[in-house]
Amino acid sequence: MNKETVISVENVSKKYCKSLKKSMYYGAMDIGRNMLGMSSKSSRLRKDEFWALNDISFEVKRGETLGIIGPNGSGKTTLLKLFNGIFWPDKGKITIRGMVGALIEVGAGFHPLLTGKENVYINAAILGMGKKEVDEKFDEIIEFADIGGLIDTPVKFYSSGQFVRLGFAVAVHCVPAIMLIDEILSVGDIDFQRRCFNKLGELRKNGMTTVLVSHSIMHILGFCDRVLYIDKGKTMYYGATDKAIKTYQEDMASRTCMPSVNLEVNKMSSSRAVTIMKIEFLDNNEIPINRVNAGEALTLRVHYFAAHHIGAIELDVAIASYGGDIFFRASSKAYGNELFIHKGEGCIDVNFKSLRANNQTVLFYITLWKSDRSELFDWKRELPFYVVGDARSGGKVLLDIDWRNRQ
Amino acid sequence: MIQGLQQRKDSISMNEIITTYEPDNSLKKGYISVFRQIIFELKQNRWLTYQLFKRDFLSTYKQSFFGILWAIILPLFTIAIFIGLNRSGILNIGDIGAPYSIYALLGMAFWQFFSTGLVACSNSLVNAGPMILKINFSKKSLVIAAAGKAIVPFFIQIMMVGVLFVGYGRTPSILGLLALVFIIPLILFTIGLGFFTSLLNGVMRDIGNIISILLTFLMLFTPVLYAKPRIGMLATLTKYNPLYYLVSTPRDLVLKGLIPEWKGFLIVCFVSILLFIGCLFVFHLTETRVAERI
Repeated sequence: MNKETVISVENVSKKYCKSLKKSMYYGAMDIGRNMLGMSSKSSRLRKDEFWALNDISFEVKRGETLGIIGPNGSGKTTLLKLFNGIFWPDKGKITIRGMVGALIEVGAGFHPLLTGKENVYINAAILGMGKKEVDEKFDEIIEFADIGGLIDTPVKFYSSGQFVRLGFAVAVHCVPAIMLIDEILSVGDIDFQRRCFNKLGELRKNGMTTVLVSHSIMHILGFCDRVLYIDKGKTMYYGATDKAIKTYQEDMASRTCMPSVNLEVNKMSSSRAVTIMKIEFLDNNEIPINRVNAGEALTLRVHYFAAHHIGAIELDVAIASYGGDIFFRASSKAYGNELFIHKGEGCIDVNFKSLRANNQTVLFYITLWKSDRSELFDWKRELPFYVVGDARSGGKVLLDIDWRNRQ
Repeated sequence: MIQGLQQRKDSISMNEIITTYEPDNSLKKGYISVFRQIIFELKQNRWLTYQLFKRDFLSTYKQSFFGILWAIILPLFTIAIFIGLNRSGILNIGDIGAPYSIYALLGMAFWQFFSTGLVACSNSLVNAGPMILKINFSKKSLVIAAAGKAIVPFFIQIMMVGVLFVGYGRTPSILGLLALVFIIPLILFTIGLGFFTSLLNGVMRDIGNIISILLTFLMLFTPVLYAKPRIGMLATLTKYNPLYYLVSTPRDLVLKGLIPEWKGFLIVCFVSILLFIGCLFVFHLTETRVAERI
């Protein structure tokens, strides 16, 4: 192993068991075999077992920050636990140079009945610090956590923010050679987050190697030198940060977004006066698409079936980010467009001349009202659609900007 | 500030231990090397063990009105039942050569050290479950610290025995002080067994319940609250019951200042040491496997 390589992962696999009872049985078997000095033959899959991680290989150099991304359940946390030695790999080999600190969950091991001070000492001991080290750093930890006069109060009376701050403060003062961070940078208020980033930045400058698991593209973009993108335990991409994120986002988009949403309703049996039958996403040439480049045109075609003549209606459209924040909402009436529905099948087009979302999967909400809003005919919620990021900019919206010097 | 940064840099570059994780990690290294590793780990984690003990201890008694007094209330109830049984003639306690309450409380102190310790050890891994899954730390410390739960009640009960001695106007044998050395086999026996049961409990939760039931039976079959029976099946059982020697030897030292069955005690000492080392070994080889199942 090269002296500058701090983490080396060679063809590592890890299996899990789906069934609790089987897990008990297998556990007893494995332990029995290990006790007798026999190999547990971990490279085979038994019934109900599956590979949670499959043949992962990579290296992290000293001082580098590696990001790990992937959808939920892809094996990110399992990988961190393997680095940390909480689990052993079932195949392959992991070599680690130096002491590993893990922020898999802040405040793990805090006891609610004990005071902040008692918990700091215990937590620090669990994280591998010695008494002298904690004594020296105690004031610094308290100052960093910023919990004021609560240090002698049982932590069960802390707010969740204070709890997390104290946990984080202890963890970052361990100064490991390798820090594993699992999705916890989004804790505390803005000011505390800023201090966390600065603290981690300071540690990295001193040669600390970091492995960061996050769903936040901002954090990955802002910190990572390289990114490992895994899905269902397999490496999908490993390399440059921007390329990895692009691959990840496009994969996510093609998985969830469809060019048209067939709602498979039986129009005859529906008791509704108007039923939304199908929704299509179309480009300028009326070709169905499941993604659009930020800033380009998009047409939303709403197919409906009306049991009888309706007359004037109102169509509501809302667009939310994947987290559920609505960033756009409007109705046809407010825009001054009059829409009508006649008996039978038909469709309504909603034409966005320029979709100004950026770099995200958005969710469409569509609601069909009688024009005086006395009746809600039908609605469709959370239809995903991917907006490909504009290469020049980041963030969630795309704005048209001119940059110029003022003469 | 610059100096501070410098120090940190040093502490980072100093930790250049290379760790390898592979399937069947320990087996590849050979037994001698594993043994050295165990000793190193235990030594390295003494402070951690103490902190875990403190955590257990403080949290047990903090939100409780009687607090540590529970350590004395529970055994007193058991003894009261035995006194009742004895007085009513249902149970013949036998010839014990000392006031019964002293004999019983002293016996209970040693017995409870074993039973409380074993239960605490057995549950230690399971109770720490989420912590084990999030931080990698020495699980041996967890088990040893759990056994520590038995220490404080033990000393309180010993103090009660002292009070009783004064009350009865008797003096314990001066050799009784040696009892503190002679409970070391009991401690090794308890923790050794605890290492093993904590593993089993980690995989199958049934073990915790089974141990509680077993301990109740075991106490009735061990001459803790009555004298050693001379005849019958119970006498034979007692002869081969290691716990009898572990409990009665320190008690005899306090009450009589002698060890009537030193041969048996010596054998049991040997067994306890072997059990401790053997179980520690097994624990070391399998603790990570168990973490997966918790």
